[in-house]
Amino acid sequence: MIDRFRKNLMLIWPQFYHHDNEDVLAHYFRFTNYRKIWGLGIIILIFAALVPLVAATAIHYRLIQESVDTEIILRTERVTSNARRAVSFFLEEHLNALRFTVNEFRYEQLINSELLTEILKNLKLGFGGLTDLSVIDDSGVQIAYTGPFKLEGKNYSNQAWFVESRKQHFYVSEIFRGYRLLPHIIVAAKSFRPDGSFFILRATLETDELIQILSSYNTGEHADIFLVNRSGIIQTPSKYHGDIFEKVALPLPDYSSKTQAVMTHNAQKQTIITGYAFIPTQIANTPFILMVVKQKAGMIGVWRQLRTNFNWFVLLDIIAILIVVPIACTFIVNLLYLADQAKAETLASAEQNNQLASIGQLAAGVAHEINNPLALINETAGYVKDLFVIKEQYHNDKELIENIDFILEAVERCGTITRQLLGFARKFDVNIQRVNLKEVISDVLNFHKKEAEYRNIKVQVDVPEDNLDIETDRGKLQQILLNLVNNAFQAVNSGCRLDIHASQNAPEEVSIKISDNGCGIPQKHLLKIFDPFFTTKERGAGTGLGLAITSSLVKKLNGSISVESNENEGTTFTITLPTVIHKEILKDEGATGR
Amino acid sequence: MKVLLVDDETKFAMMLAKRLALRGIDTDYVFTGEEALAMAVNSRYDVAILDVKMPGIGGIELGRKLSGLVPGIKFIFVTGHGSETNFEIGSGEAAYYLAKPLQIEELIEILHKVTQ
Repeated sequence: MIDRFRKNLMLIWPQFYHHDNEDVLAHYFRFTNYRKIWGLGIIILIFAALVPLVAATAIHYRLIQESVDTEIILRTERVTSNARRAVSFFLEEHLNALRFTVNEFRYEQLINSELLTEILKNLKLGFGGLTDLSVIDDSGVQIAYTGPFKLEGKNYSNQAWFVESRKQHFYVSEIFRGYRLLPHIIVAAKSFRPDGSFFILRATLETDELIQILSSYNTGEHADIFLVNRSGIIQTPSKYHGDIFEKVALPLPDYSSKTQAVMTHNAQKQTIITGYAFIPTQIANTPFILMVVKQKAGMIGVWRQLRTNFNWFVLLDIIAILIVVPIACTFIVNLLYLADQAKAETLASAEQNNQLASIGQLAAGVAHEINNPLALINETAGYVKDLFVIKEQYHNDKELIENIDFILEAVERCGTITRQLLGFARKFDVNIQRVNLKEVISDVLNFHKKEAEYRNIKVQVDVPEDNLDIETDRGKLQQILLNLVNNAFQAVNSGCRLDIHASQNAPEEVSIKISDNGCGIPQKHLLKIFDPFFTTKERGAGTGLGLAITSSLVKKLNGSISVESNENEGTTFTITLPTVIHKEILKDEGATGR
Repeated sequence: MKVLLVDDETKFAMMLAKRLALRGIDTDYVFTGEEALAMAVNSRYDVAILDVKMPGIGGIELGRKLSGLVPGIKFIFVTGHGSETNFEIGSGEAAYYLAKPLQIEELIEILHKVTQ
């Protein structure tokens, strides 16, 4: 369970990272640079995952931004429009009151100050917001006045409002301080007398009511709503854009009869939405421009919150992608690498087997061809020697006999090689019988008993089970063990140790370990030791066939052989054999093994 | 002791026959199975030294035929094809197998053993 977990965990660890192209197996691999595949995979996958996400988010933001902008402009426009209507109505109502008065009363009646006071009282009752009421004749002299200030007899002929009023039937002034030094609006209505001359009925409006009307439309903390005149002088108090009667710090729009709202920046580089409306009345035009100024930041607060949440979500998403993609990539490349590794190992071993088989065939052919002439040399040289030895004719010529002995020795050595080569390649039936491992091992060791005693080598046999029997070919198993023990004896010095350990490691498998603490095998030789003709011995001292034959014998017994070695520490050969050899497999082996 | 030597390697057969003769062993040699069968009809041999692999009649087959012709004949098979332990082919009768090149002393020893 834990092992399985660890195995799966290992799959997300980049095992291919230290893949070595100098490795002996390297050229059997399908790919050479797993790190590059891995890196490319991660980059491509991350791009494929992130680009649409980022693009979608950006598009989404843009669409929302646009719709939010449109929405806040519309909202500002609506507020501006409503406020304009209210201001228009306020002014119109008072103009209408004046129109009614000049139509209802004649000039003679209006200059009667008692009646004028009565009218002012009634107007105040009906509409409110009026301070005073006066009648001015066409020369600009105030004929009659009613109100809190003593302004009778004043001449207004040079005043701007009077000049304007003379031109029009009705007039609405800017807000100004005038003689009384209080902000007020003058509204005036012109009327003609029967003799053709005109007079003007003038009323002064308090600005309080107008300011109150405007402030009722003032929504939100960062909103500002106020009036300016056509030259941009602030008429009613503004929160952020300047004091009253100063020039407003915002650009003025061109004249338009419609309400409009635009998005601009103020002096502090903040984005603001400004709604404009030129205020007309049905009766007379006015100098007022209504301005509604809102800060965008204040209006999009909710959307900002939403965007922050969304940003967090996107960020988490990106982090998840950045974690998951490398893990997935590592996993996939690992699978690829492991599959490739398995394939490379199979290929390498198949190639080695092939090589072994073809070398074997070649060797057998060569050996066979050499063997007959060799036999002839042997007999001829033997005959010459016989002539000397048996006929006694040349009996005393020691040197000749010595030389002939050299030939015979050389022939014998060649004979050993050809015999081994032939044995190596020969196809022969496996003779299966029940074999007791302990017995086989002690049989083999009997051959070496004397040598071990003589060289003071301690041989230890460890077979835990007395009845460790397997069904195999006794002769071949003996030869395998004999070869390996021979090898070990050659590797160790006097006083060293040799351990043989046999055990059953699976129901259908036994293993035999032959360990020595001798000279060991250099790492670079380890992969070649099972190759035919590979030897480190001096020229002529070894054929290089011992381990190759051993390996092919183990394969014939359906087993496997492996080696572990550390230089100067020792070597362990491990043979694994099946407890039972199945004949069908053997036949196949035989058919292809030649 | 009368020995019949059969080997298609003519020089080898001649040499071996000479060496055996030097050691006082009466040896006839022929190069094919057919010649051997013809020789066997007229002579009485104690031992036949047969090459296992020969064109025409092989050593094993020849042995079978000779044992029908010459009662009590013993066989020593020689071969250029590997070590003696590696072939347990053939009749299963009492017979010796030797690999080429031969050790003359070993051959003499076996010859004496089979004729006793």
